[in-house]
Amino acid sequence: MLTRRPLGLAMALVLSLVVAACSTSEGTPAASAPAPGGSAPAASPGGSAPAGSPGAGGANISGDLQVLARYGCEPAPCEPSGEGAADEIAYTRYNVFAEQYPDVTLDFTESDFDAQAFLTSVAAGNPADVVRMDRAIIGTYVAEGALEPLDQCISNMGIDMSQYRQPAVDAVTVDGSVYGIPEFYDSRIILVNDSVVEGAGLTSADIDTSDWDKLAQVNEQLLQKEGDTPSRIGFDPKLPEFLPLWAKANGADIISADGKTSQLEDPKVIEALTYANSLIAAHGSGAAFNDFKTNGPGGVDFFGPDNQFKADTLGAMPMEQWYLNVLANNTPDESISFQPFKDRQGNNISFSGGSTWVIPASADNKDAACEFMRVVTLPDTWFAAAKVRADTRAADGEAFTGVYTGNTLADERIFGELVTEESAGAYFPGVQLVQETADVAFSLPPVPAAEEFQRIWQGAVNAVVNDGADPTQALTQADQEAQDAIDSAQ
Amino acid sequence: MTVQTSGVGGAPPPASVTAATTARAAAKPAAETRTPGMIVRRILYFAALFGATLIFVFPFIWLVSASLKTRQTVFNNDLFPFPLHFENYARIFEVVPLGNWFLNSTIVSVLAATTVTISSAIVAFGFAYFRFPGRNVLFWLVLASMMLPGAVMLVPNFLIWNALGQVNSPTFAPLWAGNLFGSAFYIFLLRQFFLGLPRELFEAARVDGASYPRMFWSIALPLTRAALIVVFIFELRAAWTDLMRPLIFLRDLALFTLPQGLNYLVKIYNPQGGGQGEFHLVMAASVIITLPMILIFFVAQRYFIEGIATTGSKG
Amino acid sequence: MTAAGATAPNRRRWHVAEETRWAFIFLLPWIVGFVIFIAGPMLASLYLSFTDYNVIRAPELVGLDNYQQLMRDRRIPLSLGNTLFYALLHVPLLIIISLFLASLLVRVGRAAGAFRTAFYLPNVTPAVAVGTLFLLLLAGGGLLNRVLGVFGIDGPTWLTDPTWVKPGIVIMSLWTLGSTVIILFAAMRNVPVELYEAATIDGAGTWKQFRHITLPFISGALFFVLIVNTIASLQIFAEVYTMFFASRSGPAQDSALFYTIYLFQKAFQDLDLGYASAMAWLLFVIILIITAFQVWGSRRFVYYAGDDK
Repeated sequence: MLTRRPLGLAMALVLSLVVAACSTSEGTPAASAPAPGGSAPAASPGGSAPAGSPGAGGANISGDLQVLARYGCEPAPCEPSGEGAADEIAYTRYNVFAEQYPDVTLDFTESDFDAQAFLTSVAAGNPADVVRMDRAIIGTYVAEGALEPLDQCISNMGIDMSQYRQPAVDAVTVDGSVYGIPEFYDSRIILVNDSVVEGAGLTSADIDTSDWDKLAQVNEQLLQKEGDTPSRIGFDPKLPEFLPLWAKANGADIISADGKTSQLEDPKVIEALTYANSLIAAHGSGAAFNDFKTNGPGGVDFFGPDNQFKADTLGAMPMEQWYLNVLANNTPDESISFQPFKDRQGNNISFSGGSTWVIPASADNKDAACEFMRVVTLPDTWFAAAKVRADTRAADGEAFTGVYTGNTLADERIFGELVTEESAGAYFPGVQLVQETADVAFSLPPVPAAEEFQRIWQGAVNAVVNDGADPTQALTQADQEAQDAIDSAQ
Repeated sequence: MTVQTSGVGGAPPPASVTAATTARAAAKPAAETRTPGMIVRRILYFAALFGATLIFVFPFIWLVSASLKTRQTVFNNDLFPFPLHFENYARIFEVVPLGNWFLNSTIVSVLAATTVTISSAIVAFGFAYFRFPGRNVLFWLVLASMMLPGAVMLVPNFLIWNALGQVNSPTFAPLWAGNLFGSAFYIFLLRQFFLGLPRELFEAARVDGASYPRMFWSIALPLTRAALIVVFIFELRAAWTDLMRPLIFLRDLALFTLPQGLNYLVKIYNPQGGGQGEFHLVMAASVIITLPMILIFFVAQRYFIEGIATTGSKG
Repeated sequence: MTAAGATAPNRRRWHVAEETRWAFIFLLPWIVGFVIFIAGPMLASLYLSFTDYNVIRAPELVGLDNYQQLMRDRRIPLSLGNTLFYALLHVPLLIIISLFLASLLVRVGRAAGAFRTAFYLPNVTPAVAVGTLFLLLLAGGGLLNRVLGVFGIDGPTWLTDPTWVKPGIVIMSLWTLGSTVIILFAAMRNVPVELYEAATIDGAGTWKQFRHITLPFISGALFFVLIVNTIASLQIFAEVYTMFFASRSGPAQDSALFYTIYLFQKAFQDLDLGYASAMAWLLFVIILIITAFQVWGSRRFVYYAGDDK
């Protein structure tokens, strides 16, 4: 309270975790140590990796390479031990690069992307050479001229863009130029709490988003409430985050494919919001629903063993796939089944997000940065890292549900060889379903005022859900504001 | 010294009243009898204080109990988890360089608190005692510097320190060196306390030939010892718990301060990033961060009381 | 040091000049710091408010565009309103409760040590832990509502109900009033005990003593506490950001959009530092006006023993 200029926004993190964090994490404005710095071994052991062959332009890769991403374990060298700080997927891949290029001095920051840190380093003239950021915000930085277009780098180093999943590549392509190399690819399926569903006399297949009327009925059957306060959630439509998915299911997009025209006031989008909100409103008030979802029994232990599936306070919900791993480790015995999200025509759809490597326009060592990006996203590199994680988890008796890399070839190998019924347990069908739906997922295109756009449409949805605002009015106003923001950002 | 008893107004009470009151106060008998009414009231005071204490202390109790649980049970509502997992504390030291961070935080906090107390006292005395043209304008400048939101000064501020080569520096300069110049908050605070000292004391010293620095050192400082200790403790706490500055200016893991380290811990355990959500360790780290401040504060209080006692009856 | 009467005017002038000189010597540390670390960035941000600046490219002068946009932006009055409402609720409650607690502390003598530590405890607990905790406490089924339930009150969902979001934040902020209590306590202890004793002899009750002895004596500290907490309340950021805006997708509320949060979003998410600077200076002017009012209003009530102004 009586402090000097309170501005430490980083405590964000714990909250964002406890409070039902269903977002594509990396890149939350929760702060972190800024760009260059960090200590990391130049080439440490630990990765048993067959390296990909050096790229076509591999001639002049040397010097210092500052990477704005966490190395993944401290203190080095890494012991891939279970309970602790190690991120095998990170350091294993970086070690692959380090071994291939012993002349390069790698320097990692101790944190993930943070806007303040990144901007101050750019202002000071020494940004990192290669940066990992969330695909969802890349549009802003491209529009502001902060990033280097990668077309040159791609052709020089011979990066094969076809190996990456198309929606991920689309998410980092602006006006035909590629600005990032995708990394990670999360997608969404529906998790069904069998005990609740069967207890209501239904089956898992009844959770079907292609028939909205039926779903509304199922929602009513599954939910429980006392007056205006829910005591069990039937179907959680996951507003505001999943509005794009609902809109897509209704045949519309909230933004045009080139990312320059807001389509929030499209009647189909409004219809989608109205419908999804009605699912929430059936539980009582939106405010009570959100409170129960986050802080009620089950919800409060979202990452632990007393989660909402165990406590039976939830019927079904769409969710990102990384939650499968959390469930597998905390409630392996709970009976959970999986359904794809479908559009109203009955086709499977999904929504995906993830990170991307980018190169700041004012970086020093762009060649090394480019090669770095290429090497750490090769199928072999991914596989090596996934193997380390799989082995670690097996040794600790924990589940391994795969790594969703964004690289099709890598995924095929990982899910073909490493993820088995044994490693994933009861969640194996879920893992398989995620793989199947990965191909039908879509991403939002890069938007010039990306974060502002997201704030605006999510704010409108929140106003509808929590505040009882009228969807048409809210989205029309949001559309206007969003278009203004996009226009002025160009 | 002048004794004031008048109402809530700016004017000091007339001298006759003060003289009479002092005389009467001096003349009254020393013995105090404990009436039943007084005992009841004392009990009420303690009860109210206990109630308030519970409200303020409860979250910390929760924190400690959470730090002694396992990963699975960390967010349950148990206040007294058995068995107690003290090994969480040992584990934290293995996973991150907590010892280093502790040292860093100590260095930064002590430097920050010491420098700000001395410099702010000097400046505050300047504002409180002296009459000079531009006094009000300058003081308004001091106030004004508290009024601009820090976010917009962030980039220019960073650039200044960067130009001085002090980003990621083992001297931790950006975290405390600004305090060499005083801090608006404490200048304001100490000025208020200095203004409460009777001018006659200083006039008397002037007549005796004391120099201004001497008056500052021998009269003003000792009489406001309690306030100085308050400033020191406050800044100690502020520097100890500050997160913003270290995030911007410190980049090597070994140079982190405790809050920054805690933030790092939370990040690496983020399940979305592949971590395992080891919140019980986060809670243990939180307790470790909090305890020193509590102990220091508790110990320093005696000096509050002593300091205050000497400023009591200035006969 | 004494001078003959014949040279009296000279001596007085020299004396005054000496006082001014020494004043500036004492003030020197702050002046230097101000010039280097404060004036520069402040003026820079003022300049930036007339530019379009995204940190990546050099600032481009755009005249009054940012300020005009301020007038049209519906989130400005929204966030200002939220901030002012919060400050109006928070500051008086803070001062009243702190006065009450400080008075209690004064009356219990030596035992106060443990209590003081308890009150200060929230201030030293890391914000990470505090934030987590209050999310649990303020939840619909959380501790606060359970306590209210004991008195038969059906508590609202503090975190999601737009009407109760700000009061919930006030409750959380009040929890860290320890430092105010300490300052007021230190001031109260400075009041000479004889005054109270004399007043008791005269037959004055507790409330009268408080009004006529305590308050005037601590008016200097009260003044400080009022000004500083008003300024701080109008700039509240960290706690609210943590609770409502940190996770990328959560129930971020229009009702929790405080001015500095919106400013932060414009600066570091939308990369519009020019606009953010304009917002900052608008807030600066508002705070300046409010503080000026408070200073002018307190002139009648603040009494200093050592100051004859």
